[in-house]
Amino acid sequence: METAVSQRRFTVDEFHRLGEVGILDEDDRVELLDGRIIEMAAIGSRHAACVRRLNRWLGERVSGDLLVDVQNPVHLDAETELYTDLMVLRHRDDFYSARHPRPEDVLLVVEVADTSVEYDRRRKIPRYGRAGIQEAWLVNLPDRRVETWHSPETSGGYDESATLREGETIESTTVPGLSIEVDELLP
Amino acid sequence: MSTRSAISGTEHTGSEVPLTRYRFSVDDYYAMARAGILTEEDRVELLDGEVVEMAPIGSRHALCVDRLNRMFSRRFDDRAGVRVQNPIRLDGYSEPEPDVALLKLPLERYADAHPAPDDVLLVVEVSDTSLERDRALKLPLYAAAGIAEVWIVNPEDGEVEVCRKPSGARYSDVQRLREGTVTPLAFPDEAIGIQEILGPAESE
Repeated sequence: METAVSQRRFTVDEFHRLGEVGILDEDDRVELLDGRIIEMAAIGSRHAACVRRLNRWLGERVSGDLLVDVQNPVHLDAETELYTDLMVLRHRDDFYSARHPRPEDVLLVVEVADTSVEYDRRRKIPRYGRAGIQEAWLVNLPDRRVETWHSPETSGGYDESATLREGETIESTTVPGLSIEVDELLP
Repeated sequence: MSTRSAISGTEHTGSEVPLTRYRFSVDDYYAMARAGILTEEDRVELLDGEVVEMAPIGSRHALCVDRLNRMFSRRFDDRAGVRVQNPIRLDGYSEPEPDVALLKLPLERYADAHPAPDDVLLVVEVSDTSLERDRALKLPLYAAAGIAEVWIVNPEDGEVEVCRKPSGARYSDVQRLREGTVTPLAFPDEAIGIQEILGPAESE
């Protein structure tokens, strides 16, 4: 995050407080990346439909000790809280009401990208890796493929990656028995 | 009428992935202070919607500012207000704190609102380590707001950069002066010595 200026960075607590006092409101689609408040692109219908497909599909397949989360935040550290399109989380009885999910709670994060491919691939996914999230998928709608990563590295990013195209099948490395055909995600 | 400058809006770093930063308005900025999110410990300015930290002020920088304060106060006594390191409001998204600003009188007119661009006769920034930052960040904002004249005083390099004729986000008339005099646009009868502005040369 090399920058030319000393931006005043915000913590997650301050980020929440900005929401509480109404400086940021529900219409502001924002997330916090290394202390910087970033505007997220509006969600187009293609993106939304893909998320719905994945939501139903994952919900039907994950076991009872796991949860599927849609468009909710993951708290990575004191200065980073990102919104993910979908996550497969370890089940908690309180459904994470006490605190947002942390990296160790997340088995799989899925980002769907229509207009935000570069941002998701080069900013968010490596950040998930640095935080230790085990597995990440990027559903790349414009290029009609799914990019996957696993084996997170603390220096950022992942050790292993693969790209699956139409006609191929994605196999999760963290969620037991989870596999999906790319064609099901990209009709 | 704020210009989308290079520091905010989209941010490009070495990896060339643009980040769309959230832009805070001046109202947001004050709300943050009221909410205790920004405190006295935050030495910050609002530049094009971005809350930017001000660098700690070194002794040479402070000396230069103090000397400018004294010089301007003596010369412009009843003709202009001398504001030192206090805010001016450029537009809805920028409230910088220039090192020195010459303002229209009376000072009481700023009781309810900080000076707007039309109230500002001259901005002077003292640059040492912050030289590139001031040029890159603040100069375009001053130009876009229509501030008629900005001086960047660099005592280390012995130079005063005189910026005039704001046009879009830049000044089209820029002179770098090491000697002689400079006459502020607002005071055509006051030729000020460059050496007087820079202070005594350092003997190193």
